[in-house]
Amino acid sequence: MTSRRAPRGAESADLDLFALASSIGEPAHAPPPAPEPLIDSTRYPGETAASAIAVSLLTQTAKDVIEGAFIPLWVRGEISDFKSHRNGHWYFCLRDGQAQVRCVAWKRDQRGIPAAPDDGMQVAAFGRLTVYAARGEMQFSVTRIEAEGDGLRRKALEITRARLEADGLLAPERKRRLPPFPRVIAVVTSPDGAALHDIVAVTRRRGANVRLVVVPAAVQGETAPEELCFALDQVNRWGGADLVIVGRGGGAREDLWAFNDERVARAVAACRVPTISAVGHEIDVSICDLVADLRAATPSAAAEAATRSRGELEGELRKLSLRMRSATRALVRARGDRLRHIGRDLASGGGEQVARRRTQRGAVSGRLHALSPLATLARGYAVARGRDGSTLSTVAQLSDGLPFDLVVRDGTVSARVERAGEDA
Amino acid sequence: MTFEERVARLEAIASALEHDGVDLARALELFEEGIENLRAAADELARAEARVQRLVERADGGFDVVDAAE
Repeated sequence: MTSRRAPRGAESADLDLFALASSIGEPAHAPPPAPEPLIDSTRYPGETAASAIAVSLLTQTAKDVIEGAFIPLWVRGEISDFKSHRNGHWYFCLRDGQAQVRCVAWKRDQRGIPAAPDDGMQVAAFGRLTVYAARGEMQFSVTRIEAEGDGLRRKALEITRARLEADGLLAPERKRRLPPFPRVIAVVTSPDGAALHDIVAVTRRRGANVRLVVVPAAVQGETAPEELCFALDQVNRWGGADLVIVGRGGGAREDLWAFNDERVARAVAACRVPTISAVGHEIDVSICDLVADLRAATPSAAAEAATRSRGELEGELRKLSLRMRSATRALVRARGDRLRHIGRDLASGGGEQVARRRTQRGAVSGRLHALSPLATLARGYAVARGRDGSTLSTVAQLSDGLPFDLVVRDGTVSARVERAGEDA
Repeated sequence: MTFEERVARLEAIASALEHDGVDLARALELFEEGIENLRAAADELARAEARVQRLVERADGGFDVVDAAE
């Protein structure tokens, strides 16, 4: 009874208000206009069987209302009935103990989802509530999914790893040796990042004679995988580098995600010159790390591994000059001629002491000089050479009247054998 | 010759000199060459300098390597 009276009360209240409103600023004698009915029942679609609306109007209206009412949001629940359609779209349900909602992840929206979720996974899904008007169904359109315990990322890593492994890209025998003396190192990274700064600083500190050629790429964010692939491809097409460092400084786990992208890993594997992966993380190993010829824990470590310090190289030169020196000494000893004395002089160390006093670099060539036959000539010895350039070192090679050359310190003298005799 | 090639050549010279059968005249030549290489390699080390450049792809698909602004 109350419910029937209430509308009447409301109507009368409306009328009273109307009377009140119209009494303000209106001449008192003006007749009040007839009130508009609140609802024109003759124009209300679907009020009667005769004005029934089409199904499509109903679902379209529901679509407009629902889609207008919800902003995109995160919803948590359990995945069930997951199906990957052959057109690439994913269909599944999200549910809890009381309810469920149908979900779709369109193929184009799957980029923000590390891997297809499995039934039973507890997830948070981000999306928009939509209505599929053609079927009158409500559908949650998902663009991102995060699984409990980072399950989807772990699954994505496993899938990628298995694919690369199947293609043999992780095989240990695929690892190439780094060039011992790289001259041009391509550095694929962000031009403004900490990684580049560290690599340049380490290379300079080591006094390495090398050109670092930066090939810029975003190292985080949605475009990072494509940009990294593109930059690596540029390095290949350019062909001027003999080593590639690809990486970035440390960051949050999701910031490093591009280096777990399968496309990036394949681009690293496709590099025609050896690669060092330098993603600034100590604990986790990225997919790029597995594919690269060398994994460095940080960009600084990559620069250390890639370059050799000036001191190291100078040591190498010293070793080589020592080898030549002892080989020559042995050579000289093996010949029973006058050079034996020179060898003895050298072995006594006179030359060595002088050399030691010189600078490191000077020492290298200084020692060689001391041993060189040129230096021997400088001390007043001469080498006899046949006209064919061969060394004449035995009596048997000389006959009476034979013309030959005497090589002395500052030139060559033409000579002739007066009398060939027996060895004294 | 690159530094790497010089070092490789020096290795070869040292090996040749270590070989018993080497002729003295040949040894002389090898030494001259060894000194030359050693000096050049040491000079190169003294001039060593890390340069930072940037790869730029041209519209025609070619590449330029330009010095990076620091």
